[in-house]
Amino acid sequence: MERAFLEVDHLTKRFADHDAVCDLDLAVPRGSVLALLGPSGSGKTTTLRLLAGFERADRGAISIDGEDVTSLPPAARRFGMVFQHYALFPHLTAGENVAFGLRNRADTVERVREVLRVVDLPDFEDRAVAELSGGQQQRVALARALAPEPRLLLLDEPLSNLDPALRDRTRRELTLALRAVGITTVLVTHDQEEAFAVGDLVAVLRDGRLQQVGSPPDLYLRPATPFVATFVGRAGVLPGEVASAGHVRVAGGPVWTIETGSLGTSARVTVIVRPEDARLVEAGGLAGTVINRTYMGARTLYRVQTEAGIVEVEAPVGAAVVGDTVQVTASRGHVFPRDVAG
Amino acid sequence: MRRFRGATLTLVLVWLVAYPLALVLVESVRGDGGWTLDHLAAFAREPQEWSALWGSVWISLASVALAGAIGIPVAFVFERLDFPGRRVLGALVALPVVLPPLVGVIAFLFLYGESGIVGRAVALVLGLDESPWRLRGAGAILLVHAYSMYVYFYLFTRAGLTRVDQSMLEAAESMGAGRWETLRRVTLPLLRPQIVAAALLTFMTSLGSFSAPYIFGGGFRVMTTQIVRTKLNGNLPLAMVQTASLAVVAMAGLWLLQRSRGTRSVVVMSKGAPPAARLIRQPLARWTATVVGWTFAVLLLLPHITLMLVSFVPLGTWTVELLPPRYTPANYLTLVADPEHVRPLLNSLWMAAVATAGAVALSLWAGRLVVQRTVPLGRIIEGLTNVPWAVPGTVLAIALATTFSVHAPLIGRFVLVGTMLILPLAYLVRNIPIAAGSVLAGFRQLDPSMDEAAASLGAARWRTLRRVTIPLLRPAIMAGAALAFATAVGDFVTSIVLYTLDTRPISIEILSLLRSYDIGTAAAYGVVLMVISAGAMLLGTRR
Repeated sequence: MERAFLEVDHLTKRFADHDAVCDLDLAVPRGSVLALLGPSGSGKTTTLRLLAGFERADRGAISIDGEDVTSLPPAARRFGMVFQHYALFPHLTAGENVAFGLRNRADTVERVREVLRVVDLPDFEDRAVAELSGGQQQRVALARALAPEPRLLLLDEPLSNLDPALRDRTRRELTLALRAVGITTVLVTHDQEEAFAVGDLVAVLRDGRLQQVGSPPDLYLRPATPFVATFVGRAGVLPGEVASAGHVRVAGGPVWTIETGSLGTSARVTVIVRPEDARLVEAGGLAGTVINRTYMGARTLYRVQTEAGIVEVEAPVGAAVVGDTVQVTASRGHVFPRDVAG
Repeated sequence: MRRFRGATLTLVLVWLVAYPLALVLVESVRGDGGWTLDHLAAFAREPQEWSALWGSVWISLASVALAGAIGIPVAFVFERLDFPGRRVLGALVALPVVLPPLVGVIAFLFLYGESGIVGRAVALVLGLDESPWRLRGAGAILLVHAYSMYVYFYLFTRAGLTRVDQSMLEAAESMGAGRWETLRRVTLPLLRPQIVAAALLTFMTSLGSFSAPYIFGGGFRVMTTQIVRTKLNGNLPLAMVQTASLAVVAMAGLWLLQRSRGTRSVVVMSKGAPPAARLIRQPLARWTATVVGWTFAVLLLLPHITLMLVSFVPLGTWTVELLPPRYTPANYLTLVADPEHVRPLLNSLWMAAVATAGAVALSLWAGRLVVQRTVPLGRIIEGLTNVPWAVPGTVLAIALATTFSVHAPLIGRFVLVGTMLILPLAYLVRNIPIAAGSVLAGFRQLDPSMDEAAASLGAARWRTLRRVTIPLLRPAIMAGAALAFATAVGDFVTSIVLYTLDTRPISIEILSLLRSYDIGTAAAYGVVLMVISAGAMLLGTRR
């Protein structure tokens, strides 16, 4: 099998009282973008800092293009990094910041100009960092990281410091810039939308362990664990029991048609239902009360409190009002054996 | 080997700071024949020693009370009330800090002394032959202390008041608290850390105060002057015990005040704004506030003005007149023209510069280890950098004199007393807390990702230090260096113990000029020191 460009092998980092990263394996092909996605404390930032060399791994290895860099200091790795708060040097101009990593290069001036063009900030060389807007600072930070032509680009929550209106645009620009340069990239984010928009591959972390890695549709349509299913997109979680192959009895009531795989009859399971797979029906569904209604344009999202848990349902705008007693059914879903964590 | 990172710097600081102090303690219980309690007993039997120690303590406590009673209300007035001239006056009232201790004392001498301007004026008005008072004793010392130290309370309280969020006061008001109750139950408790810090600074400064008791003390004894007198009389063992006793009092005071700072840290929100100053609208009140404010400022500036006036007085011309009858720039010319007068000026400048450079270098080293790399010895290193601050200058001078008058290289002792190195070294040790305080605070404000960003761009450690860390620390380094330099240039207390004829600094020269009644030249030196201090303060507080 061909080796991936970036390979992370059994990476482990333990802090005083807990495993920050535990036995992590990752493989990123040349030129693709991997998004590390997880809630705070999931170990995604530690993973990034291990990749950058700011932390030393207790066990495991990191290799890039076949070269083991696990014990190299940060300055020797030739990786570029964009920090969460950008870490632009305030005493230098935008151009001097970009030139900082370009030592002993004859073409420093041209290179600075070229990279600033890539991030769409031509003629910004002489601007003081403090004069720049948040979005511009973010792009200068990206240009600074890209300028020395690093082997790998690391992005730590690159959009979290921008206000929502700017974030969307900057995200599109960032994606375009990464594609244009074609650099292998690892990005850390807690925002699923951001991970899906920028990442070719998304790795979901929880408590320092890898839950699943795959393309965005992979994760959404074929979540490996209930945690991934609920962390990636909206989902209702209900208890159930396999009634027969392809049929699940939900919360001791109605039987829904859901792929059950290799699970045997009467196996106790957790049922995950996405809002777009659920419907409101007249009868024969799981009974519950509408506790919230959110109008979202083309569709309306109803939160239904059943005895077994909350289910979210997409339905036409006039289907019910808050307080109505309704019945819910689903045409698709995911089941997980009950003993699977999460 | 991570456990031992920072060991070199720790050793250097122990050698410069802790070791000399420990030697004083040891010497105070050692005699010719080994360990002995004779010196301690001699000290304890002598009522004069106890009265000197008690004098130091009560003068310090009284100085805290007086300085607080002036400084805190003045801070409230300038922060919370608006009246014509508020901004200018608010800056002027901090000006006593630009007078180095000895300079402030001689300015008071020229102004309020028995042959000072105010004394002459009063005698003239009352038709007396001489001033009705003599500037002597505890009262004179307290006057100087209150004048120079109320600034600590003023500056600290004002800084604290700007951080008290208006919404907290509004919250108290909305729950029915009146203005006094809000002050007592909200504002003052919020200011407690600042007020305690000012009290601590005032207490330590007064305990170590030497110039005022030395010039004005007369029969009133405090421990700092007692130590120097004993040392000059050659009774070294007794000087050791005295020094140790003052050090113990200083440590006890530090410990007590640190405790009363409270463990509860007051979290002040970063958002929110302090209340705007209330404009006084009523004409009479406005007028009163303005007059009182300006009178106060003029009173505070009288010593500076007097000093400048006297610096133009030719030798032996001011005898019985109210104000000096003749003025000449000759006193300043002699400072640059007469080699004997240039020398102290150059001495002070080069010794202060060397000491400042050394202290800044040690501070950068400490910042790198304590803040950036958080070495296990970090707490000890930071503690050691603070020690010289908590020890009166006299104690430090005696400790260094003891340590560096013996040749024993194996235990880190060299004969430096009597050489040109001892004063710069003493200034350096005294400068460590000043420089380190500022530089360490600067390090703590540095974004740690700046370092990482430089590393990720391929910069090695020295390049990061040179291109990123030091440029970013520049304001902190400048502030620390400026204050350290000003302190060293104006130093009197360590100089009087350690100077030699060849290395005599400005302060010692001022003293000998006063003894030969050349007040004009003495005042000219004082003005030079004042200008250097003012320049340093400006440099140090510029953002």
